[in-house]
Amino acid sequence: MPDAPQTGTTDVLGNEFTEDGHLVEPSSDDFGTARQAPREPEWYKSAVFYEVLVRAFADSNGDGTGDLRGLAEKLDYLEWLGVDCLWLPPFYASPLRDGGYDISDFRQVLPEFGTVDDFVYLLDQAHRRGIRVITDLVLNHTSDAHAWFQASRTDPQGPYGDFYVWSDDDSRYSDARIIFVDTETSNWTFDPVRGQFYWHRFFSHQPDLNYENPEVQEAMIDVLRFWLDIGIDGFRLDAVPYLFEEEGTNCENLPRTHEFLRRCRKVVDVEYPGRVLLAEANQWPADVVEYFGDADAGGDECHMAFHFPLMPRLFMAVRRESRFPISEILAQTPEIPSGCQWGIFLRNHDELTLEMVTDEERDYMYAEYAKDPRMKANIGIRRRLAPLLENDRNQQELFTAMLLSLPGSPVLYYGDEIGMGDNIWLGDRDAVRTPMQWTPDRNAGFSRCDPNRIYLPVIGDATYGYQGINVEAQINNSSSLLNWTRRMLEVRTAHKAFGFGTYTELGSTNPSMLAYLRRWNDDVLLCVNNLSRFPQPVELDLSEYHGLVPLELTGGVRFPRIGDLPYLLTLPGHGFYWFQLVPETEGGEAP
Amino acid sequence: MTELTPLSDALLRWLPEQRWFGGKNRDLSEVSTRDAVTLLDGDPKLVHAVLSTADGEYQLLVGRRRELPEHLGHAMIGEVDGYVYYEAVHDTELMGRLLTLIAEDTWVEGIHFAPEPGAVIVPAQRAKPVSAEQSNTSVIYGTEYILKLFRRVVAGPNPDLQLHRALQSVGSKHIARPLGAITDEFVVLGILQEFLQGAVEGWAMATASVRDLMAEADLHAAEVGGDFAGEAFRLGQSVAEVHADLRKALGSGQEGPERLYEAVQAMHRRLDAVLADVPELAPYESALRAVFEQARSGRSLVDVQFIHGDLHLGQVLRTATGWRLIDFEGEPAAPLAERNALRSPLRDVAGMLRSFDYAAQQLLVGHPADHQLEVRAREWTARNREAFCDGYAEVGDDPREQGPLLRALELDKAVYEVAYEHGNRPDWLTVPLASIARITAGED
Repeated sequence: MPDAPQTGTTDVLGNEFTEDGHLVEPSSDDFGTARQAPREPEWYKSAVFYEVLVRAFADSNGDGTGDLRGLAEKLDYLEWLGVDCLWLPPFYASPLRDGGYDISDFRQVLPEFGTVDDFVYLLDQAHRRGIRVITDLVLNHTSDAHAWFQASRTDPQGPYGDFYVWSDDDSRYSDARIIFVDTETSNWTFDPVRGQFYWHRFFSHQPDLNYENPEVQEAMIDVLRFWLDIGIDGFRLDAVPYLFEEEGTNCENLPRTHEFLRRCRKVVDVEYPGRVLLAEANQWPADVVEYFGDADAGGDECHMAFHFPLMPRLFMAVRRESRFPISEILAQTPEIPSGCQWGIFLRNHDELTLEMVTDEERDYMYAEYAKDPRMKANIGIRRRLAPLLENDRNQQELFTAMLLSLPGSPVLYYGDEIGMGDNIWLGDRDAVRTPMQWTPDRNAGFSRCDPNRIYLPVIGDATYGYQGINVEAQINNSSSLLNWTRRMLEVRTAHKAFGFGTYTELGSTNPSMLAYLRRWNDDVLLCVNNLSRFPQPVELDLSEYHGLVPLELTGGVRFPRIGDLPYLLTLPGHGFYWFQLVPETEGGEAP
Repeated sequence: MTELTPLSDALLRWLPEQRWFGGKNRDLSEVSTRDAVTLLDGDPKLVHAVLSTADGEYQLLVGRRRELPEHLGHAMIGEVDGYVYYEAVHDTELMGRLLTLIAEDTWVEGIHFAPEPGAVIVPAQRAKPVSAEQSNTSVIYGTEYILKLFRRVVAGPNPDLQLHRALQSVGSKHIARPLGAITDEFVVLGILQEFLQGAVEGWAMATASVRDLMAEADLHAAEVGGDFAGEAFRLGQSVAEVHADLRKALGSGQEGPERLYEAVQAMHRRLDAVLADVPELAPYESALRAVFEQARSGRSLVDVQFIHGDLHLGQVLRTATGWRLIDFEGEPAAPLAERNALRSPLRDVAGMLRSFDYAAQQLLVGHPADHQLEVRAREWTARNREAFCDGYAEVGDDPREQGPLLRALELDKAVYEVAYEHGNRPDWLTVPLASIARITAGED
């Protein structure tokens, strides 16, 4: 263990301290600044997000691990695909005991990913292409390797002594649930160095920061400013419900937590307009809307929040061939403030979380989508989209079409656009974090390294192996999933109603059909999804649009005019339609 | 004489072609209009008529125009003196008039169009008729309201309106709220209710599940993605809650052995009648009668109350907020006195259990026998019956505790189905017969 830091000295870890015992941390002035993305205040309302793991995307230096320069080299691909914003899970310095969410220095980049300067370069190159970049920031806790924690445990009287939640016993806040039930038995862990217990809502190597301490609040806001000064477009704020603790509560969603978020928002609005805050709060929508803040002010906390319960219900609805799992959760989703937007997703780097479903539904989901026990993790399922859907192209298209057309900004997960597989034999959540498959060459074109050196083996099985499933092959095949996805993003981008429009579900007597209208000014979109594997008819009440003509959006075909009778459509199994309702015009033949 | 009297000949031809007309098999020699009340004058004109026939009285809304627009052509009844008369429920403009009359709480020559107490009706809603209904006609207004017009004019209390009002008074969550009514002195002519937009019939939900099962013939009912048991459980809860609400609003009672004896006698009489027509039922006669008699061996006192009376999967709607029960008219063929009597809530349970069996079997009808699919269908039925009863028992008394009576009621219903299928859909006769065979053999 390092000794208590001496004033004006450097400790054994190389951390430099000022005279009064404060850590000397880098300033954004030490680095360059990326050019700005085009000004567009509500860009996040219609953006397509793409979650990309730096480690998994592209390796520029041949060390077997993806890095920021490698990602920058692939920006042309992402621009071609048509994504608007990259979401990067944490790339900060970290002992990597929790996938980088255990941050040991908020102002350093993990050395294997590169440097802060490399990040400036990535951001600059992305902005040049009109692509924005946001990243995760963990506000709730740090790694136990963070210099703040080391100072806090060794020098309780020093400036960092009160940065974490310390206690002489482990009985406080007993109403707070334990989140990682697989690995942790208590939210308190004894620290032999300081001789006290410290509070942690997640792993025991991730002590919670003490937000009661105003200096902690200031320090974290300075971390925000550091990256915003460099030019980042926003943050996904990880684990926000847990910032404060209060006896007699479950220590989630407390009023003071919201108060702090309003402070963060104010900093963004005043100093960095156009940047966004996205809340990660795995809670029911009625609770999550609290994180948007005051509706009268158009929202004064986070601009965006993930809609967690929708995702498992999309899977349930298709398995049950019934729209009600989706209809129900959307009916229970409250209105959100005018300046806010949901983030929705099918898959991400975590397991398919089943926290936001009932016990009965969870059993059902396990039975349906996690047939092998190794497919389960914590409270979820660790699979990618394609294997979850048994590699059925029709279902992959249906799910993606729903993701792109339901209310909220869609978040794609890297590799799902080519239908990548997973490897359930890898530990923890690594099953879905294998290298991106670029080409049929060595290491799937991800890295030039010795294949034995790669951070995780590339997928090599007969169905999803990189020899068959890769970007190069699919770019050259006009009917590939990749080209299909690109086309759908193009259509989505052409219609602001997908992002900004109202959402109205259209009922019908066929329970397997999910139909809805998205409407933004004159742009009226009709989306119809067949959740059944069998062909189905549906009769829709479109009387409000009497006389208009549904124009199919991917091919431009005009469907019969909407008349007096209910509008009849037939869809193949797992089929979908996107229409724009337009005035009838003449045939289009030459005069 | 009414202003529609000249239309009598046309009505004589038109009436027997209508689905809702019950006197198809009789020789219809005369139709007279008992009443004709003008609800809207001018062109178009709207007339409310009560027709008298040998089969009883019917309500009819007649439109009259100089020229009939093309889209109303199918509704034409006849032409007299340069006017075209037609069935007005298809006419959006004229149906809007009915909603206005209700919204404004209007009397027109003895007919009262009234909102329910506290209901505020917004009249400007586009009207459209619901197609394919058997015994009534309904008109949907926008996405807000549905107006059910009873075809048959029957004097006396109307269980549909009465039970809806009672359930509304105790705040039942499982109905479509009653919002208005059209009545004349002794007769309820129509009910305006909340329209459950986006709702789906239980039958469509259940058959989607069965279809999924049948496509995966090697998987069991509990294993397939389309499992219905969760829905069946919630449906059981909802039915039990409606029964509890009906008891709360309208009270309940207990009947002694005499009444039970009468009920069992009625089962025997129905069996007698059906046996005379359907020889295929004969092999089960003694077993059926034994089950009927066993019904008397259970509790000496039977709980009775107001019930739905004709409960099946077509009378329940799944909405985004759960199940709702609709159409509290009771079995339309039963005499009004019976429909208004207190009866065992097990009758509703038995009706739903029979409906599960139909849902499971319907894909097999008309196809060559397939043992595996038959086994799957039975598994589906068994699983969802149990789930329904489990759900019911969460809220009310477990219906399975009164096994003998429940079994007898189910079989009585199955005997009725035998008669119905024999008369209407001979292909389907195997569905109730197979159930009777199984239940009497003690397999279910």
